[in-house]
This record gives sequence, C-alpha cells and structure tokens, in this order.
Amino acid sequence: MNLSLESGDTLAIVGPSGSGKTTLLGLCAGLDDATAGSVLLDGFAIETLGQDERAALRNRLVGFVFQSFQLIPTLTAIENVLVPLELRGESGGQAEAEELLVEVGLGDRMDHYPLQLSGGEQQRVALARAFIHRPKILFADEPTGNLDSGTSEPIVEMLFRLNREAETALVLVTHDSRLAAKARRVITMRGGSIVSEEENEIF
Amino acid sequence: MAWRDSRSQRLRLVVFSLAIVSGVAALTAIHSLKTSVEGGIESEAKSLLGSDLRVSSRKKLKSDEIESLTKRAERVSREVSFPSMLRFLPDRGARLMQVRGMDGAYPFYGRVETQPIEAWKQLRQGGGILLEPSVLDQFSAKVGDKVELGGIRLTIFGVIKKPAPRGNRFSGFAPEVYVQLGDIERSGLIGKNSMASHQLHLQIKEVRDERKLKKAIREEFPKSRWRMETPENRRENLGDALENFQKFLGLIALASLALGAIGVAGAVHAHVTRRIATISVLRCLGCPGNLAFGIYFAQAIALGLLGALLGGGLGVGIQVGVLEVLGDKLPVSVIPSPEWRVVAQTTATGFLVCCGFALLPLLKIQGISPAITLRSGSCLKGSFWQALPIYLLLVGLLLIVARSNGSDWRRSLALVGGMVVAFLLLATVARILMAVTRRIVGKRWPYLLRQGVSNLHRPGNQTLLFLLSLGLGAFLLVTILSVGNLLNERLTLQQSDENPNLYLIDVQADQVSGVESVLRDNGLPVLESLPMVTMRVQSIGGVEVGKVEGVPGWVGRREFRSTYRNRLNFTETILEGELATERADPSGIVPISLEEKIARDLKVGIGDEIIMDVQGITLQTEVTSIRKVDWSRFNLNFFMVFPPGVLEDAPGFNVITTRTPSPEVSGEFQRELAGEFANVTAIDLTQILEEVRDILGDISTVITVLAGFTVLAGLPIVLGTLMNGRDVRLKESVLLRTLGASSKQVRVILVIEYATLGMLTALTGVLLAIGANYALAIFVFKASPWPNLMLIFSALGLVSFVSVVGGLVLSRGVCEHSPLEILRGGS
Repeated sequence: MNLSLESGDTLAIVGPSGSGKTTLLGLCAGLDDATAGSVLLDGFAIETLGQDERAALRNRLVGFVFQSFQLIPTLTAIENVLVPLELRGESGGQAEAEELLVEVGLGDRMDHYPLQLSGGEQQRVALARAFIHRPKILFADEPTGNLDSGTSEPIVEMLFRLNREAETALVLVTHDSRLAAKARRVITMRGGSIVSEEENEIF
Repeated sequence: MAWRDSRSQRLRLVVFSLAIVSGVAALTAIHSLKTSVEGGIESEAKSLLGSDLRVSSRKKLKSDEIESLTKRAERVSREVSFPSMLRFLPDRGARLMQVRGMDGAYPFYGRVETQPIEAWKQLRQGGGILLEPSVLDQFSAKVGDKVELGGIRLTIFGVIKKPAPRGNRFSGFAPEVYVQLGDIERSGLIGKNSMASHQLHLQIKEVRDERKLKKAIREEFPKSRWRMETPENRRENLGDALENFQKFLGLIALASLALGAIGVAGAVHAHVTRRIATISVLRCLGCPGNLAFGIYFAQAIALGLLGALLGGGLGVGIQVGVLEVLGDKLPVSVIPSPEWRVVAQTTATGFLVCCGFALLPLLKIQGISPAITLRSGSCLKGSFWQALPIYLLLVGLLLIVARSNGSDWRRSLALVGGMVVAFLLLATVARILMAVTRRIVGKRWPYLLRQGVSNLHRPGNQTLLFLLSLGLGAFLLVTILSVGNLLNERLTLQQSDENPNLYLIDVQADQVSGVESVLRDNGLPVLESLPMVTMRVQSIGGVEVGKVEGVPGWVGRREFRSTYRNRLNFTETILEGELATERADPSGIVPISLEEKIARDLKVGIGDEIIMDVQGITLQTEVTSIRKVDWSRFNLNFFMVFPPGVLEDAPGFNVITTRTPSPEVSGEFQRELAGEFANVTAIDLTQILEEVRDILGDISTVITVLAGFTVLAGLPIVLGTLMNGRDVRLKESVLLRTLGASSKQVRVILVIEYATLGMLTALTGVLLAIGANYALAIFVFKASPWPNLMLIFSALGLVSFVSVVGGLVLSRGVCEHSPLEILRGGS
C-alpha cells in the first residue's frame, strides 16, 4: 500500500475488524516494525531508527488517543496531561495543561486520579494529553469506541477543533461511519490492503 | 472451573508453584539436615566418652559383676589405670606416668590416632607401649626404644596423637602411657597398687534414657561404689555449643517456614490481582463470592500440593547432596540417607502453612465487586478484621512449629511474637513512607524523580506489600545469619589460642615466682596462677553429708579442690547472689560461691550452710552466690570459690597454666622444669583440646551451611514481591514508551522507585534483625551480642541491589519490545 498525509490533513481508516487498521496505525506511529517497505514520518524513515530514537520522535511529533484511554493510573489528570512535556524535560507547561483541561471541560477535576473519572472524562484527559506538546500528527484509535453518543459528540468536536487550530494532521481509526465522514480522506481496508479511498468535501 | 481458569495463566502459576517448591524444599532440607546432624552430634558427644557407659571402680570388678554388665552391652572393654614409674632404657631416667592398660576395641566411638598409624593395632598384640610425644622428647627417646614398667620390658611402638577418652579431666597428674591389659597383669603392678582405677567401657545398642540406665545398674548392685558416666556427663567439655546449636537449628527451621510462606502469600496475591477482571466478570454472571473464592482456593491447593511434593523431593535431594558433598567436613559420620518421617512432616507442614498464607490474599476475592467490569484498574482491597482469624490461625501454626522445634511455650511465644512485632513495625514504616512521600514531593522536583518517588504512595502502589514481604524476608535472613555468626564467633573463642594447654600442678607457694620465670625464659605466657586447697564436704544444712536425702554418695567421698579469689574470671557469670570479696567477720561464717551444677548436686541454694573439712579443720560456710562456668575454655575453674583471707594458711599448692605452641617446646620446657622443680607436675591438655576443637570447628561448618540454606527459602519472597508489582509497572512503562519516553527515562523512574523501596526495606529489615539478634543473644543463647558490621552492610547493599535489579529486569521487556499491545487496548 502507499499512503501519504499532509500537515493539517485528516484521514479516517475504516474497515471490518481484523482488516489491519490498528496495525497500520501502529506502523505509522513507529510502534511496530514492518516486514517490508518504509514509513517516513516528517522525513525520518522510522525503520532505520532504534526504539529510543522512535520514542524521541513520537515525543516530538506524535500525539495519541486510544479507545481505552490509556491514562497512567498512578498520575492525576493534570499530571497525565503533563507527561509528554515532562518527558522532554520541559517543566513550564503547568499553565498550558490547566488551560487545556479547562478547554476540555475538566477545570474542576484536575487532581483526580483516572479511577475517579468517568470514561468520557478520561478520554478528555487523553485528548488534552495528546495536544499538550503540539504534535504534528495525532493518531486516534477508536477514540469514541468506548463512549456513548452523548459523550462522544463533544470529544469528536474537540478533536477536529484542535486539529484545525494547531494544524495537526489527524489519523483516525474507526468503525463509526459518521465519525469517518468528518475526515477529509477516508480509506477502507480489508485483509491488510487498502480497498478504496475517497475524499469528503468538508470545508 | 479452577482448571479452566488456570489455562491462560499456566506459566504464571508455575512461578507461583516455584515459590512453594523452593520454600518447602528449603524447609525439608533444613529439617532433614537438622535431624541427620543432631543424630550425628549426639554420637559425636559419645566420642568424648568413647562408649555409652563407663563404669569406674577403685576395687577390681568381680567376674559376676562384669558378666552381668556385659549382658547389657554389645561390646565391652576393660581398663586399668594407675600411676607408676616408667624407666627409659638404657638409664635415660624415669618419670611418673599414668598407665592405662586396656583390652577390647575401646573407644567404640571416635578413634585413637597414633604415629605410626598402625601402632594402636600393634599394641593389642602386647609387648609394647605408646607414649605422649612430649615425653618422648623429654627423654630423647625414639620409637623402637625399650622401657621398663614394673617387672617387664616393653618396646615403644609409637606416640599417641589423639588419646582415648580419659576417666576425667585430671585423671592423673602425669602423662599417659598405653599398654595392653595382659602386659599389666604380667607386670605384677596391680594388686599392690591401691591407686588403680578399674573401668569397664560398654557399648549399648540403644540408650533411651541415660539416667534410667544408671539407676537400673545402681538398683542391681546397691552396694557398689561405682562411678558411672554416660556421654551426657561429657558434654560440658563442649560448653553450651551443642545446646546453642540445637536452638539455632530450631530457629532456622521456623524462619525458613515463615520465609517460604511469605513468598507464597506474595505470589498468590500477584495471581489474584491479575484475575480481578475475570473474577468480577464471574461475579457479574452471578457467581457467588464463595464460589469465586472456592475456584481460586482450589487452584492454590492444587498448586500448593504439587509445589509441596516437588519441594519435598527437591529438599531430600539437597539434604542427601549436602551430606554427600560435605560428608568429610561434617563433625559426625552421618549417612546421607533421607529422613522420610521428617520429609513427610515438613512437606505437610509446608503445605498447610502455605495454604494458610494463600488464604490472606484469597479472602479479598469476596470483596471484588461485579461493578469492576464497568471500570477497569481496580486493586485488591481487604479488611484487617476479615483476615484476623487467618492471622490467628497462622500465628497458631507457627507456634506449633516453634514448639515442635524444641522451644518451650514461653520461648515459642517470644519467637513468634517477635515476628508479629516485626510485621507490625514494617507495616507502620510502610504507612509512614507513604504519608511522607505524599507530602514531600514538590512540583519543582525533576520529573523522573517526582514520578519515581510518587509511585510510592499513588494508587496501585506496592509499598506496603514490598516492605512487608521483602522486609520480613530480610529481617529473618539477617537474623539467622547474624545469630549463626554470633555462634561461630563464640565457637572460635572456645577454640581460641588463648586457652591453656599445659597445667602445672603442685607448685608450692615459694616456687610460684621461680616457675613463672622458667615459663618466661622459655617464651611461654603465664595465663593463670591460682592457689588450690583440697577439702571435703562434711555436712549440708546441719545434716551429715551421707544422710542428706537426694545428695549422691560421691559428694561425701569427693575431694574438692577449691581456690580463693575476689573476682570472677572471664568464663564465669553470676546466676544468683553476689560473689563475696572478703569474709565480713574474720571468725564468722565464710561466704562461698558454688558452680551451678555442683549446687544442684548438693541440693543447696543461696543462704544454705555447708560445713567443710579442710584437711582436718572444720569450716562453716554459707552459699552466697551461684556461678555459671563455661568449662569448654579449659581454663582454671573450680566448683567452690572462697573469698581471700580464709584459706591462705591451709596446706595447698598453686596451679599455673600456660600455652605451648608445639609438643617439642612443651617437652623442652618440661625437661627444664623437672630439673629445677622436681615436685611440679605438668599436665598436657593439647590432645583433649584438639579433640574438642575439632568438634566445635565442625559444628561451626554446619551452622554456616544451614544458614546458607535459609537464603534459598528467601527466594520465593523475591519472586513473589517482584511479581506483585510487575503488571502495574509494566503497563505504565509501556505507556510512557508510547508517549515518547526513552528507555533510559523508564529505567530511571523504576530505579528510583525500587531503590527507595529497597533501601528502606533493607534498613528496616536490618534494624529489626539487629534488635532480634540482641534479644536472641541475651535471652536465648546467653551470649553477648556480636554485631557484624560486614554482614549488616552487605545485607543493606544486597537487598537494595536485589530490588533495583528486579525492577530493571521487569523493565527489560518494556524497552526491547514494541508498545503496540497498548494500542490493542491490551491489559
């Protein structure tokens, strides 16, 4: 397969379970190794990088939102948001993190641990975490898969708003056709291959 | 269901089983070795007597008496010993010797060593004599020379390097020579010699109760005035080494059991924690709490049983292996065969205790709510009160184990109580640590440090479990090792070069300074120099000694050699009363101090009156102190000690002790001494000392080996502890990697957390162990505590090291593998 994505663009990957969506996402983010081919992220060939170099690249360029939120259970909401900055050695992000949490509607729950938050709240913390270090590309794996429609609506809205404001490329893996329809490009996968690609007129 | 549930976790369950295997293996090995070695030590104590029973008499034993005694025994040997002049031919001079004539295969336990080796066998054929090496030196004689004893001439067959056990420590004030009993009869010396002691050595198949055996013989021969000795009487030569050794074995057995059990509890906790989600699903589907508990309890029992059986087998292997490997070094001839009864007992006990400890985390299953299915990430919560019956059950089990290991109830309670206190203290330290870290971590701290330290108090932290399991493990191990060390230090002291090996007896008051200067001229130290006065007991509490109920007859016949001084020596401790330093009233009652065993034989205590007959002069005395004496040091000690100012004018002599480096030096010195002070007799104790030193050295080896094995019992703890924290840390680390953390950052966070935990655990465990060591030293082993800095610092370093390395091993997978599993919404 051949796939490229411009800065600020949005891409949705759809397809039945087991079609290779998450694997593709993992390969693009340098979380897994391809047996053949090459993945270039902002000009860097991921397969030529070691695990630590890939981690550094992710930290600099990539944001993640997972279906099961994947917050660090031992950290509070604000601490979770700060992790990508802290890993870079930046310590002045407190105000920005607070601002982001206020923006996602969690201004009053900053010091709660993930266990004390609802699923929707956890996903909003994850969103704030994904944007805190202003990534060039954001990978979202079924970001609303675990949420009901009432909860997922504002999250999707936030995802696209942040994408627009920060010029972040957005890659979405989803089963939800309504969510996919919000992306400019939609590719459909089956059996590990891209079977179709369409573009939506969203602007 | 239990079987089906285990399918996805078999590898993990194998690790849990390993915890039980190593725990039970250590327990079985230690208990089996204990039983083997105890049996061996018993027979080693016999080698100090050489037989199961020694009957000594001043009169020749009649043939019907010998016949009757022989019926009780498997083998017998006769011996006659007496002092006699031995003339070295041709005309080299003569010396008074203690002659020992024997027949049969005595000693039945231990062996006599000679130079040349075959000399002892050769002696049985008659016509020869064996001498002490220093005597040979003194007369410049050599093997093959002739000597004259009474009316016969004998050839020197060799020298004695390790003698046959003697009648008593001062069986004669002369060097020993060994002759065949038939030769003695030919010499015509017996019969004329009223100083002869006739002895019968018996080897008896099984002596259940040494005291009952003596009593039965006394009842059979009520008129006899025999002195009877059994191995029990000889143990004083080993000091408290044997008794301490047995206490140590009991302690080690208890600790190894507790260590294994803690490890099992940790492993089960880790297992159940991983199954929370499954259990909550089961609960959700309508499974009652009891059934969920039953499923995992059945798993634990099945694994426990398997682990216990494998552990038992491994333990047998270790025991037999150790005995095979160490066979020659062990003090005793132990046959490397399994002690099946012990194996069955320990395997069953190990299984029971492990099941009991497994109940602690399992009980929490009932508290797992079905609501967890709705929200992941819950941790196990339990209530103390719910677990209390199990704690009590476990304390009860440990008490029974402690009791069955030879401690009385009071001591068992103290030992188990000590463990409970350690447990509570560790839990308190853990809580304090959590509270402190919650407060001190500041926002300005570097992120990695903040994250590492904060992990100590955050949800899902492992602080309490870590401190409890690894802390208790470190506490028990360091306690065992330092007590082993303490005992070894004491044993070394007993084997010390400071102990005398040559006694100079019969030194007259005006000869003391002369003898001392001969010693100094020969470069030999004067270790002790004390006056000695002989006396007899006339009456006790106003009743003539022979008529006092319960006081053995020999007390009245015995010539007590007493001394006078106003201080204790380094082997004495006052048990009761106070040592009298002077006679308060010059004409009044004399305050005396008695050794504890003789006080028991005389049936007296503080304040009781004894009238002594000091060579015709009656002396009224009162017991004002009872002393404990460590006889194993072979320095000058006395049953009775008088204050100065009483016995100075009584006829007596002085005893001087010294230490000679070799038989040659000893011979040279004795030759010079005989020239200047012919009346002074030298008694060479080198050979007895070496025999005792051998046994003590071997006990020390066994202590070290067994203490080493408790380390094996500590293994499951490390496994269990690390398994407990693994899942949470693994997930967190993978997530950090996904978010861009370098492997170094992940490692630093883990190292900070594990190093803090490890160091604090080590510190608490070691401090507790130092406390326990002091308590055990003072209350159980009656010794001065011996803090070994080397051991303390190594333990501190090792526990910290193990926890950091363990933490890093956990992170190994994180740094080498792809973090994709997180994307899969994985666990």
